Amino acid sequence: MGAVRAEFLKLKRSLSWTVVVLLPVAMVIAGAVNTLVSGSRPEDGWHTMWLRSVVFHGLFPLAIGIGILASLVWRVEHRGGNWNALMSGPTSALRIMASKAVVVAVLAAAMQAVLLLTVVVIGVVVFAIPGLPPGRYVGVSLLIMLACVPVAVLQSGLSMLMRSFAGPIAVAFLGAGAAVVLLLAGLDAAVFVIPYALISRATQLGTGTFGDTGAITGGDVASIVIGALVLTAALTTATTQILDRRDTRT
Amino acid sequence: MSYIVATEQLSKRYGSRTVVDSLNLRIPAGCVYGFLGPNGSGKSTTMKMLLSLVRPSSGEVQVMGQPMNRGTRRRLLGHIGSLIESPPGYGHLTGRENIRLVQRLLDLRDEQIDQAVRTVRMQDQLDKKVRDYSLGMKQRLGIAMALARQPRLLILDEPTNGLDPAGIEEIRDLLRRLSDGGVTVMVSSHLLGEIDKTATVLGILSGGRLIFQGTRDELFAASTPDVLIDTPHPEYANTQLKGMVASRLDHGAVRVSGIGDQTTARVVAHLVGAGVDIYGVRRDEQSLEDVFMDLTGGGGL
Ligand SMILES: Nc1ncnc2c1ncn2[C@@H]1O[C@H](COP(=O)(O)OP(=O)(O)O)[C@@H](O)[C@H]1O
Ligand SMILES: [Mg+2]
Repeated sequence: MGAVRAEFLKLKRSLSWTVVVLLPVAMVIAGAVNTLVSGSRPEDGWHTMWLRSVVFHGLFPLAIGIGILASLVWRVEHRGGNWNALMSGPTSALRIMASKAVVVAVLAAAMQAVLLLTVVVIGVVVFAIPGLPPGRYVGVSLLIMLACVPVAVLQSGLSMLMRSFAGPIAVAFLGAGAAVVLLLAGLDAAVFVIPYALISRATQLGTGTFGDTGAITGGDVASIVIGALVLTAALTTATTQILDRRDTRT
Repeated sequence: MSYIVATEQLSKRYGSRTVVDSLNLRIPAGCVYGFLGPNGSGKSTTMKMLLSLVRPSSGEVQVMGQPMNRGTRRRLLGHIGSLIESPPGYGHLTGRENIRLVQRLLDLRDEQIDQAVRTVRMQDQLDKKVRDYSLGMKQRLGIAMALARQPRLLILDEPTNGLDPAGIEEIRDLLRRLSDGGVTVMVSSHLLGEIDKTATVLGILSGGRLIFQGTRDELFAASTPDVLIDTPHPEYANTQLKGMVASRLDHGAVRVSGIGDQTTARVVAHLVGAGVDIYGVRRDEQSLEDVFMDLTGGGGL
């Protein structure tokens, strides 16, 4: 636990919190402005709001956002003597990788919560959509947060490997693109292989878009949960091995 | 004697370049080990191998009697404090927050933290952001972070690099105090003067090879100081020695290098036989600097 608490302490005065708030708020506002400018209203109420924010967010911005958070979390370790200090302490590679991934995953979950909250506020205040959004959105949001965990592990691993800030973010962009193509082709099994497909799939759940049927079945939920657990375990093992074998640079 | 660090034929090659070559380091427990060598001689690489930050190409490292490798390192590193190349520290956090990080990570008590901070005399600087620290303050904070775990072995890579004379003196004093407190310290430098008076054992590295290891006295004994011959006719005396020994004129005396006592006697007899008046024969005062320059060929210092 000490390692995780230490990681959270490093977030003090960090840009990460700005990303967590600004990225989802900007996404929802951009969607709303688009709707307003085109002179239309979300015809289908909350469903339209959800499509234009959460589903859209799940296509590219979410993966990129997690990429940015992971790069921010690792950036400080690549500076000065921090890498050597990190690797010459008694903290195991597993604890290092796990605590970093936990921090990125928690930030991603916070980002998702901000997104949900912004959707509700804009929906009520700007579009005066009657009633509150359906309760299943909360459940789906929790699934999205879970689906973000393996992406957090992967991006954290990439940012551990690469000193470059933008490199891992570019990988997230390409990965998210590949995921969209696969899901459009109806290859739902991608959620067990590509973490980016997992977040896209989770954000599309119950919307009838892409490969989704519109109904949330137990099988859909189970495949997302299992995909998240399997990928998290596999990626954590892999990134830990890499960190442990790696020699310090410079 | 018990060694806290011992290496066997420790080597590191990058491509076809051997940057550390067959080192057999022996660091006695409780000493201050001065690890000297010009820039690029392999000091940092060696220290990284001692900490398993870099894996050796061949050879072995033993720390506290146990092999140091990727399988054992985390257990051993709990007893080793280190500072390699540049000091650590998160610039966006204050000194106190940085120290608290270490405390949380290693699950340390408040007293351990306080003591480490006081040892480096940083207790009044902790509320500044590390980004705004001077290099000397960063070094001291880095040492405090290394000391907080109360290590048995402290490995410091050029901790005096870039410091002003007062800062250097402060680090020297700190090393002495730590050593008195029972910590074994290994400290590297490319400047002999910086650790000369603090180190009790010296290891000298040149081009990746250990060219000397031992106490300061042993170092003096390993190299013979020049013989100076005082005579009213130095030029004549110098020509008389041509082909016999390596000699040259030096401020009205004749300087002869690399000769032992027997040869000295022969040289004197030869000069007297040639009719040279001799009124003084003495060994030159030799500084450790001279010995060091001698051993490393004076290159790159
Ligand atoms: N990762 C690396 N790849 C290639 N060469 C390296 C690497 N690290 C160090 N070297 C080379 O090894 C030599 C020794 O470097 P170093 O151990 O840093 O010396 P010192 O600390 O004594 O100045 C240098 O010539 C350096 O260029
Ligand atoms: Mg060096």
